[in-house]
Amino acid sequence: MATVDDRRVPVGRRAWIVVAERELRDLWLAGRGLPLLLAYALLLSVTSYLVAANQALNFLEQRETVSLTLQVAVAVGALLVLLGAADSVSGERERGTLESLLLSPAPRRALLLGKAVAALSLWVAAWAISVPYVWYLGRGVGVVGVAVASSLVVGSLLALFLAGYGVLISTIVGSNRLSLSVSLFALLALYAPTQMPTAVQNSWIGDLLLRIDPFTAGPRYLGRLIINGHSPGQDAGWLIGPALAAVVAVAVALAVADRLTLHGGDQA
Amino acid sequence: MSAALALQAQGLKKAYRGVVAVESLDLDVEAGTILGFLGPNGAGKTTVIRMLSTILRPDAGWFAVAGVRMDRPVEIRRRVGVLPESAGYPPGQTGEEWLTFHAELFGRSRDDARATARRLLAEVGLAERGGSLISGYSRGMRQRLGIARALVNDPQVVFLDEPTLGLDPMGQLQVLELMTRIARKHGVTVVLSTHLLAEVEQACDRVLILNRGRIVAQGTVAEVARRAAAPRQGLVKVPPELRTRALEVLAASEVQAVAGDGDRRGELVLNMPAGVALDTAASLALRRLLDAGVPVLGFALESGRLSDAFLTVTEDS
Repeated sequence: MATVDDRRVPVGRRAWIVVAERELRDLWLAGRGLPLLLAYALLLSVTSYLVAANQALNFLEQRETVSLTLQVAVAVGALLVLLGAADSVSGERERGTLESLLLSPAPRRALLLGKAVAALSLWVAAWAISVPYVWYLGRGVGVVGVAVASSLVVGSLLALFLAGYGVLISTIVGSNRLSLSVSLFALLALYAPTQMPTAVQNSWIGDLLLRIDPFTAGPRYLGRLIINGHSPGQDAGWLIGPALAAVVAVAVALAVADRLTLHGGDQA
Repeated sequence: MSAALALQAQGLKKAYRGVVAVESLDLDVEAGTILGFLGPNGAGKTTVIRMLSTILRPDAGWFAVAGVRMDRPVEIRRRVGVLPESAGYPPGQTGEEWLTFHAELFGRSRDDARATARRLLAEVGLAERGGSLISGYSRGMRQRLGIARALVNDPQVVFLDEPTLGLDPMGQLQVLELMTRIARKHGVTVVLSTHLLAEVEQACDRVLILNRGRIVAQGTVAEVARRAAAPRQGLVKVPPELRTRALEVLAASEVQAVAGDGDRRGELVLNMPAGVALDTAASLALRRLLDAGVPVLGFALESGRLSDAFLTVTEDS
């Protein structure tokens, strides 16, 4: 039998591309991608209808309706990414398919990168779906362009953060249920600063917290651009938190990738 | 390290949270061997296979697979194929898609991977079902698909961890025949973990029995069966008219002999003494008979069975 030895130069595609392609197929053709996106579109439709037509909410200005809708789109889109990422490794563990993957010579980082790409595709699809809603709600007030572009930037940073974080948790913990629970709990915790009293929010520590928490800083940045009409560079400081969170989460996930084990935890 | 050794290990240890799973395992397996890897549940077989296939890191000791030491796990993975115990399969993919995916992970181009997948599907008898979703496969078909996956990288060493688990007798037979055929055809070293002792006797060149994380017997099937089950009896045939003379000669030696069921035909049952190697005792008895001028018309040792050996060496588990 021929031997695959050191002299054999791999002629195939990079492993992360192979994994990403397989994951994308599984997600969109045979998995939960389409049902999740359908639910997302339904939610966005209801939100848009309420902010645009409901008598109780029609005190909102047009710019505010765009901002509110985008915040919902970004938050739910990022949540979808988290669900996909948190299932990425622990799901394979539970289905018994992880061992076969680990038996391949593909770098562990490539396996995780491919899975993260598939999870991120949920955000890309969610953002694309939000565009017609933004166009409809923002027509005539000149915010459509900036709303679409800024939501892409903010949403992508949050999605990157949650993809890295979700993959990280999924790599470390042993069970899928635990992975999803820990991930969702952390996401809820990130929204906690929005519930702080106004006085605390206006203090320096409250302001710092709002700026470093990606899920408060990102939406505030969107609001300042869309509602207040600020230029993108004027409030760029609000993007530091989301950008930093994205970089750190992805870096830690890649660093931990080499410790990816069959059972998770310390059972190497 | 010998180039002819497909597997080599010394002092391999593994514990899970303080519970020892494998304790100081030493192993030498020559290339091309079909090794029957036996042991009761919890003996440590799967842990050993996972260590040798680089899925688990040993706590102590070292090993080499196909001449590659354990500090180069990626190179080892390129050389081994594994059918894991309780392997899972993605129900939403076809058999061909799944094999193609794994072949690509081993660096094959997409076309090469697809061709490899089709060749292997044919080899394991799934050519006509390669385009069907795995969710529609029977357990036996999934096991055969798993064996095909273990071969996508043209491995030098194949580990099959309980490949017949949960299969009906026909399915077990098919998988074992497939394993034997592939091993002989490709000349790969196969480590077969199973509880089917009768099939191991037929298919395997060597046997290793593990109990409580330790090797308790290893060698050829015949060696293990003889050593562990230790047949202490033989049957010797002499001319009927010399039967009494033969009994007198043997009575003077360490070998006790009694007339057998076929004593009218001159058959005697030899009871070999304990503490003396079986071959030595048998040789001694035969030499005494020949020296006394009693011709030996036939001789046979009562063959030991692997199942007896297995039960003997694992009785404390």
